[in-house]
Amino acid sequence: MSSSRTETGVVDVVMPQLGVSVVEGTVVEWRKAVGDRVEADEIVVEVSTDKIDTEIPAPAAGVVSELLVGAGETVAVGMPLARIEAGDALTDDGVPAEGQPPASGGDDAGAEATGNGAGRRLSPVVQRIAADHAIDLSEVEGTGRDGRIRKQDVLAHVETAQAPLHTESPFRPESVPKPESAPVGGTLSRMRRTIGEHMKRSLETAATCTTWIEVDMSRVERERAALGLTALPLVARATIDALREHPQLNAWLEDERHTAHDDVHLGIAVSLDEDGLIVPVVRDAHDLSPEGLGRRIRDLARRARAGELTADEVRGATFTLTNPGQYGALMATPVISQPQVAILDSEAIIKRPVVVAGPDGEDAIAIRPMCVLGLSWDHRALDGVLAARFLSAVRRRLEGGPS
Amino acid sequence: MSVTTSVPVDHRRDEPPEHLTRADRVGLLRHMLLMRAVEERAMTLYRQGKVPGSFYDGHGQEAVSVGPAWAMAAADRLCVLHRDLGAHLVRGVQPAAILAQYMGRAAGVTRGRDGNVHFGDHRTGCVGMVSMLPDMMLVATGLAMAFKLRGQQRCALTWFGDGSTSRGDFHEALNWAGVQRLPVVFVLENNQWAYSTPTRLQFAVDPVERAAVYGFPGVVVDGNDVEAMFEAMRIARRRAVAGEGPTLIEAMTMRMHGHAAHDDQRYVPADQLAAWRERDPIDRQAARVAALGVDVDTLRAEVTAQVDEAAREALASPMPDPADATDGVFATEEVAMGDGAAPWSGWSR
Amino acid sequence: MSTLTYLQAISDGLRTEMRDDDRVFVMGQDVGAFGGAFKVTDGFLDEFGADRVMDTPLAESGIVGTAVGAAVAGLRPVCEMQFADFVACGFDQLVNVAGKMHYRQGLSVNITVRLPSGGGFSGGPFHSQNPEAWFMHAPGLKVVAPSTPEDAKGLLTTAIRDPNPVVFCEHKNLYRRVKGEVPAGEHATPFTARVAREGDDLVVIAYGAMVHTALEATEDLDGARVMVLDLRSLVPLDEEAILAAVHRCSKVVVVDEANQTCAAGAQVAALIAQRAFEDLDGPVVRVATPDVPIPFSPPLEQAVLPDVERVREACRELLAY
Repeated sequence: MSSSRTETGVVDVVMPQLGVSVVEGTVVEWRKAVGDRVEADEIVVEVSTDKIDTEIPAPAAGVVSELLVGAGETVAVGMPLARIEAGDALTDDGVPAEGQPPASGGDDAGAEATGNGAGRRLSPVVQRIAADHAIDLSEVEGTGRDGRIRKQDVLAHVETAQAPLHTESPFRPESVPKPESAPVGGTLSRMRRTIGEHMKRSLETAATCTTWIEVDMSRVERERAALGLTALPLVARATIDALREHPQLNAWLEDERHTAHDDVHLGIAVSLDEDGLIVPVVRDAHDLSPEGLGRRIRDLARRARAGELTADEVRGATFTLTNPGQYGALMATPVISQPQVAILDSEAIIKRPVVVAGPDGEDAIAIRPMCVLGLSWDHRALDGVLAARFLSAVRRRLEGGPS
Repeated sequence: MSVTTSVPVDHRRDEPPEHLTRADRVGLLRHMLLMRAVEERAMTLYRQGKVPGSFYDGHGQEAVSVGPAWAMAAADRLCVLHRDLGAHLVRGVQPAAILAQYMGRAAGVTRGRDGNVHFGDHRTGCVGMVSMLPDMMLVATGLAMAFKLRGQQRCALTWFGDGSTSRGDFHEALNWAGVQRLPVVFVLENNQWAYSTPTRLQFAVDPVERAAVYGFPGVVVDGNDVEAMFEAMRIARRRAVAGEGPTLIEAMTMRMHGHAAHDDQRYVPADQLAAWRERDPIDRQAARVAALGVDVDTLRAEVTAQVDEAAREALASPMPDPADATDGVFATEEVAMGDGAAPWSGWSR
Repeated sequence: MSTLTYLQAISDGLRTEMRDDDRVFVMGQDVGAFGGAFKVTDGFLDEFGADRVMDTPLAESGIVGTAVGAAVAGLRPVCEMQFADFVACGFDQLVNVAGKMHYRQGLSVNITVRLPSGGGFSGGPFHSQNPEAWFMHAPGLKVVAPSTPEDAKGLLTTAIRDPNPVVFCEHKNLYRRVKGEVPAGEHATPFTARVAREGDDLVVIAYGAMVHTALEATEDLDGARVMVLDLRSLVPLDEEAILAAVHRCSKVVVVDEANQTCAAGAQVAALIAQRAFEDLDGPVVRVATPDVPIPFSPPLEQAVLPDVERVREACRELLAY
């Protein structure tokens, strides 16, 4: 569903359906204010759903006449968010608006349009940050050469500026004096709430158990150095191979219906630091080499952190890998991502003394890089023996040796 | 160190060569016929607009490539030049792949990446040439160097022309091969002309003399006698694998067509061409083989049919996919060269 | 781990590979009995013998051309040009034979060509060049330029193992001046960039000796947090790392010791202008040697090669923009 295009008259900007299961969305931030001119396909608002945040482009060129929903408010899919008086967009000085960036720099006409005064050049990154945060650059003080607005100036402004709720309303939030010893806190963000609901639901639905296995990562360390990768793609590849051997773990359990999959669509948990976490999916991961997996994972992680994932990239996983290993923790009890039946966690690789077969066949002590893999699994779908066998298969592949 | 220079190695027609069987002698003729037939067909295709770029042939020089190639072992390596198509055929490259190569088809040996005879099917132990001549002399020297370092009984062979003996790489290669006594044989195809430059404007001393100053023998051979070329190469190869170092073989021949299809070589005296036409290498070998009772006409017909079929196949094959144009600049893994066909009967003796 | 000079690290890398793989051999002028003009292969002749430490005739075209032949025969030659400047004599073999071979013939040419590059010691016009740009421009050749001993060993190892022709630019003015921790035994470094120092106010992009110049110039620069990105690999160029650095810092100074026109830095600047335009908070600034042959007399040479002061000034000006 998308907004309609008409040349003239009032055009609605509606809440789109982003993903099959999405029924509502929340306005995060308006990029345009009432009275602003807007081009067709120019971004007018940022919205958030259960899965991801998305920017909504204007369905037609014109002038924003009404904002119907405030930032932070949630509406159902299909409801109008704003109205645009459609019509040819011309600037006051008669220059056609085709191809003009929102805040043009480098010429007087552009400078006039943004109200900055003649001759003040705006660099590309300053324009981009200003557009992203709907900042009026005439309010920003420049500390660069000849008073030029620099990146740090506009960034500083972003931190301190307070955007009003509705542009035509004279209401401005009062600055409330901070209490002397008030605890730091606030309400949970939308993403944090969503993650929490999902985790709680998973623990309430599934009979979650966790089994662990220790793996000697010597061979993985050697291979990953040779390939120029982290250990994660190699762990992913070994996991995929083990899943092909034990497809009951590559499955969905929805109520009583259990579906084991042949194809592996691997979810990789990506941390967004305080903002939470997101699980982009490597589709058809079984077709990828470790190098290919490494590339795909890097790309998804980068786009996850930049907020560029599409709705389809965060659904459809048949199995999930989580790997917060860099922080040195030993083991964990990960939560299964519904409706999957298992999730594999790998923590830190720590060098430890272990018992190995010495050159003469006797027991000997050696120092090896060891890692604990934790598999949380749903006892409704499988038993501990299968979980242990699966982990053993993963270990066998990571350590090398006879298959 | 004593060396022989300017000594013609010539086989008298009435003395049968010791190291060639009847089948070998027929095989030599067959491959020369094949080279000529492929090149004539390619010239026709060129005139029909089916061969992009330029077209070069070795018409009248067939013995220079077929003879020496016949003496090479499967594990030997060859750096083949643009008038030496016969060597590719001896090593086992199929006529259809060659015609496809000329026409820039995907089934060509270089899959459209380089044109005309700038190819070498590495699976047959041949290294493809570059346009800068005689760069490949150094590559052949390097191959020979590897054989010597490894203690292998193998030989490298490279062809080059009278013109390219003026360039530095000619001297660097001869010097290097002589200093290190490498198992490489240098075949100088003296076809009298480098484009429009006759040899008298190319060098003051016949290049075969230069072998001596680099420390090894140079011999002059009748380049249009395929059995003489074979024998010279057989001897040179034996020297090489015995650790006695390189040999320079100067094959005296004549470029019967222009430098390329676009050159009508009007600067070449007509009587020179007429004289050399009398010494056509295919006619000479055909006469020998006919004297043995072989039906040369049937042989010719077989070759013609083979080339007709190859042309049909090549014409039906597709052009390369433009989407592949930037692929393969870098190798993702090492590619090992393969051994070529070695049809000489001597290998089984 | 041990502390080695840049030169010792190259020797170490070469020696380790030669011990590990008997296909690897060294060829060049004076590399055998003399141990190399700069002593990189000192002691190698005794350990590996004359077959694997080959004293060649004075013939750069010959060295590169025969190396190609040896490589297609299955060996792994490591050629040494005595000075980078002399690679010009072997240009044809490197660019036309080695570089184009795989694309045209599907045959891999595993050669490594070591170029002792760079100036700063009155070497004059024929002993001070940084010719990497010629080879960045030739399809089929990889080009790397380490700045640290660890990377010198690691990149050389990867270069030797790479099935393609690799031009290895070792900066001779770093040979004995730079020391660092170098992993013992097998050590291979991928052909990627490395962040030499983190920062976010401005990034200096450099390679080879200029990395050290950049680090010194921006160590204490009016409190600014300046990133230094060591390219390490010119072909392939780590575009992702460059763009990420520009995204973070928005101000860029690119430093070349090579002559300005069409140097590696020009390609980096073009890449940034095209793909990171919206991240820029100022023009892309280049600091490079002007287009002159490197002069011999110290005041002249110092006037043309980028030094700590020039780089510092360029950064200071851009920071204030």
